[in-house]
Amino acid sequence: MKKQLITLDINDQLYQVAVTPMDILVDVIRKEIGLTGTKKGCGQGDCGACTVLIDGKPQLGCLKLAIACQGKKITTIEGVADPVTGELHPLQKSFLDHGAVQCGFCTPGMILSSKALVDSTPNPSKEEIKRTLAGNTCRCTGYILIFEAIEAYVKARAEGEVK
Amino acid sequence: MNILNEFEYYAPKTKSEALELVKSLGSSAKVLAGGTDLIIMMKEKMIKPEAIIDISNLDELKGIVCKDGQGAEIGACTTIAEIEFSKDLEKKYSALTYAAGELGSNQVRVMATIGGNCCHSSPAAETPTPLSALGAKVVISGLAGERELPMEDFIQGNRKNDLQPGEIVSKFILPEPAKKSACRYGYIGLRNAMEIDAVNMAVNITLEDDGTKIKDVKLVMGSVSPRPLVSELIPGLLKGTELTEELIVKAGEAAQSEAKPITDVRASAEYRRDVVGALARRLVKEAYEAAKEA
Amino acid sequence: MGKMYEVSNKYHEYKDYTREFTEVGRSIPRLDGAAKVTGKVQYTDDLVLPRMAYGKILRSPHAHAIIKSIDFSEALKLDGVYDVITGADCPIPYGIVPHNANEHALAVGKVRNWGEGVAAVAARDEATAEKALELIKVEYEVLEAIVDPRESLKRDDLRIHEDAPNNIAYEGVQVYGEPEKALEESDYVLEQEYYSSYVNHAFIEPQSAIADFDNNTGQLHLYATCQVPHYTHQQLSKVMELPMNKIRITVPLIGGGFGGKGVASQADFCSAILSRKIGRPVKITYERSEVFATNNGRHPCYMKFKMGFDKNGKITAVDFNNIMDGGAYAGWGIVVLFYTASMVHIPYMVPNVRFEGKRVYTNKPTCGAHRGLGGVQPRFAMEQMLDQAAAHFGMSPYEIRKLNAAESGYTAKSMMYVPHTEYKKCLDEVVQRSGYLEKHGKLPYGKGIGLSGGYYISGTSYTLYLSYKPHTVATIKIDEENGATVFCGATDIGQGVDTVMAQMAAETLGIKTEDVKVIPRDTQISTFDLGTFASRLTFATGWAIRKAAEKVNAELFPVAASMLQCRGEEIAVKDGMFYSIYEKKKKHVPWSDVVTMYIESNGPLTCTGQFTPPRRKGIQQGGNIGHSPTFGFSAQIAEVDVDLETGKVNVLKITEAGDCGQPINPMSVEGQVHGSIQMGMGQALYEEMKIAPDGKFINPSLHDYKLPTSMDMPEIDATIVEAFDPSAPYGGKESGEGPIQPTAPAIFNAVYDAIGVRFTEMPLTPEKVLNAIKANKAK
Repeated sequence: MKKQLITLDINDQLYQVAVTPMDILVDVIRKEIGLTGTKKGCGQGDCGACTVLIDGKPQLGCLKLAIACQGKKITTIEGVADPVTGELHPLQKSFLDHGAVQCGFCTPGMILSSKALVDSTPNPSKEEIKRTLAGNTCRCTGYILIFEAIEAYVKARAEGEVK
Repeated sequence: MNILNEFEYYAPKTKSEALELVKSLGSSAKVLAGGTDLIIMMKEKMIKPEAIIDISNLDELKGIVCKDGQGAEIGACTTIAEIEFSKDLEKKYSALTYAAGELGSNQVRVMATIGGNCCHSSPAAETPTPLSALGAKVVISGLAGERELPMEDFIQGNRKNDLQPGEIVSKFILPEPAKKSACRYGYIGLRNAMEIDAVNMAVNITLEDDGTKIKDVKLVMGSVSPRPLVSELIPGLLKGTELTEELIVKAGEAAQSEAKPITDVRASAEYRRDVVGALARRLVKEAYEAAKEA
Repeated sequence: MGKMYEVSNKYHEYKDYTREFTEVGRSIPRLDGAAKVTGKVQYTDDLVLPRMAYGKILRSPHAHAIIKSIDFSEALKLDGVYDVITGADCPIPYGIVPHNANEHALAVGKVRNWGEGVAAVAARDEATAEKALELIKVEYEVLEAIVDPRESLKRDDLRIHEDAPNNIAYEGVQVYGEPEKALEESDYVLEQEYYSSYVNHAFIEPQSAIADFDNNTGQLHLYATCQVPHYTHQQLSKVMELPMNKIRITVPLIGGGFGGKGVASQADFCSAILSRKIGRPVKITYERSEVFATNNGRHPCYMKFKMGFDKNGKITAVDFNNIMDGGAYAGWGIVVLFYTASMVHIPYMVPNVRFEGKRVYTNKPTCGAHRGLGGVQPRFAMEQMLDQAAAHFGMSPYEIRKLNAAESGYTAKSMMYVPHTEYKKCLDEVVQRSGYLEKHGKLPYGKGIGLSGGYYISGTSYTLYLSYKPHTVATIKIDEENGATVFCGATDIGQGVDTVMAQMAAETLGIKTEDVKVIPRDTQISTFDLGTFASRLTFATGWAIRKAAEKVNAELFPVAASMLQCRGEEIAVKDGMFYSIYEKKKKHVPWSDVVTMYIESNGPLTCTGQFTPPRRKGIQQGGNIGHSPTFGFSAQIAEVDVDLETGKVNVLKITEAGDCGQPINPMSVEGQVHGSIQMGMGQALYEEMKIAPDGKFINPSLHDYKLPTSMDMPEIDATIVEAFDPSAPYGGKESGEGPIQPTAPAIFNAVYDAIGVRFTEMPLTPEKVLNAIKANKAK
């Protein structure tokens, strides 16, 4: 099928890519644009490894037509750290410091889901954190250290220690 | 398998454009809203539509209007997450907002729409059950105009509904909850999240002005029949009564006797029947207590 | 030092090593963590090579069928298809245990499980490859499928493998002491049957492989999600008929393994064969359904146990009959079979043991190595039986475990030797922290608390083929340009061994962990390591690294001493500084200056250390499987709330205490423990691969194969008990497989405490629980 040129706004960069209507967002991000931080764990919307933010909200890259994402702001894991210095976002740092990262394969999706939560909610409760992450499967950590990482970040932010 | 079949992609800018497309493309086309069911079905090659009509950007089909004393209207393309977090809806229709919050994952709720959840017409769907218990009507639009159907009449079977060629669901109308009424939703699943419900249920109870006698009751079951199952026995059993432990037990038995569950990968028919009783007892009691407080 | 006879087998003649660590014991975040949280790090599927083709595997819809013909002519005609291979292209069988290798990259003549590969395509892109698969016509003669090993044993008329009468892959008997007599003379004998379920690792990263065969040099370079590169290396050599030195395996970062990536995947072989045929690199990445189709997860076991006790509650004998469902092929099967045998000998003292086991073929995706292999199944049975026995003797479950627990220096009847254990301390700790004794048997109906223990090996004693070579080699290169670089082929599958290796090297070298570079996971660049399995890495790489680092120190110390103008034995090194232990302020010199001085006067500095485990004997049959340099221990207490109307079991809290010796990285240990508990709970309550009677896989997706979600996790209170294993390089031993052992039986014991019903089959679904509650009421 003939490809058509579309423009995707990813991490505040505009990318022109040639796609067919059948092309799935996660594949386009990984293969066409080369941002391989977004992972693919099941391709069926179950594991959440392909989570990206679309207009600030977490969505599943494996269930999204790329062509339908024109005109939307997409954030991938590569867009979370400081775009100039590359310095980690304090939430990323908190994941690191709290042992919330093991194999790292679920981590990009996990961080983006968490980031959407902490961006929209000043003081999420533990229950809110747990609920938010139910669609991000982690097989290594048992989740608890991930909850702790997010809670620690939220606390540090509330105390003005980090942004 | 990962690869979708070839299709033409249409993104109409207005509702009427969408209706034109739905009409002209007919059954070869599928309507895309959140895509959380549709894309999976396409990936699994269960369907191979020749065209996709993406209505997810149509503002005309989005939004929640929920004013005091005037019921509510929810656009078909309103996302499940918007419903889950709507404070206005929660005040009047907490059974619906709770059910919305138990659908899939957070990401799925951000993507999926209430119209999609109903039009997919899965027996295990979360929102049709409370919508039906709340007396919601489905508004169906076609080029010829609009028509309304009660929720339970809209869904006709496993992945079957009353949508005719050329039609889309445009919104849901919820009546203002009666005074002294409360609706409660519950479900049974293996885990605490990400479940395809083995059984779900909503119970809506309205009390007489005395605040104790049941004036009206509607109990709707999901996942125990190809379509939302409105109990016929429960009103006869409970109307005009003050709820007692004995009646609660009987309500459970009545619901069990009406359920027509099947055995599948998620649960056996026997288990489903067992927990229908438990859910009915719990929800009848909870809704009754809540109605008293209302 | 350095010659094999000087160091081999002598590691345990340790000096009294300092326990005042600076780098060991630090909760250091992963050295690759920043790259992981930013998405920078590359896993296999993230790599793209120039001219790379994409491969896909066509899989059988039947569980048992003869392949009558395969016609791929139409597929070859499709634009963008480079080539198609079938079983005819891969006639040489492989298998991780060389002497019973019976797997093929693609089915030869017959398929034996749903989802077995029958053909593979290489094409310009994935979509084309997938379209090509649809054009391949395979004619099958469908055979009856057997999915229950007990049935399989009776069906010699329906052999899954011609050379396996009664479908028995292997069988074995071990008798230690006089179990029959001991059981006869026991005061109390318990007899019970158990079933442990069919589960998958469900790592989040599906297997992926990129093979790059260079026709000019005859070299194959494989990038793959490979937990045990060495055995894959050997098998590739066999299947490809290439000498090992023509094959290089690079393992990019791995997104979880848990044993499942221990065996070579069909993607490894198919990509290699295709690459050689088409002269391009070929990438094959599995879909989730293929992860299930190729499984290699935990063996379901049908277990019959007899356990005898004397009048005081001491175990007198265990008789264990195990029928293991192996699935379609050999895989790790023989190893797992004999691990189930060995696992009954510890952590309790069992003076008489009889084991009889059969590993049986069925038409299901093959079973293999899965976190805590061979231990989870018998532990599930025995820890419940201990509770039952305790009730019989009027003891608490805690008391009976303490009474029977082994202590440091214990030699089991199988000659398995436990150099060090703090298992009793683990029991004390969890009982005290959870208030177990105040709660057990005293909670209201529907609420319960359960105790269980467990342990696991911390390495193995033998390779899977006859070999006397060291199991791990570490080389440390010291230079001005890089500082300290550790080369070691150990494979980080997410557990964090790269960081732990850096910590151990830094400890002995006296520099900061962050200044150590580790070059792992490449058979050509890193030094030899046997692989990531049997929780062997901390112990094995630790010794190799320590030996290498000590040799480095032996070179640098004299230089530092002369620079500081003091005697060699007065010198110490810490935090990147050599100093006189008497005059630290006055006499110190940076480590890097000493390195410069050394290299300028002596030339380059590279030292190598190695580890070979002790070759213990005494296990009767099964290649001495069970011997380990040392063992890690864990005790757990589960608190549950059972919904009496729906049967749903909610695990509220797990209290864990583990003996991993000296934790090298406590934060990593905690992660291993939490992850083990999650996986153990998943198997106990939710997870199960469901196979229809005709062998079709009912739920090969994460939609219906139910993993614990964030919403299902209980509160976890995990403690590392104070411990130091003097036989271990830095006092540390395993923590990644011991802690999965107690989780399921602790939950089952808790459910018994809650509702008074013993369950003997996993998973404990709400349906089973509710039926039991109903049956109880009916009584």
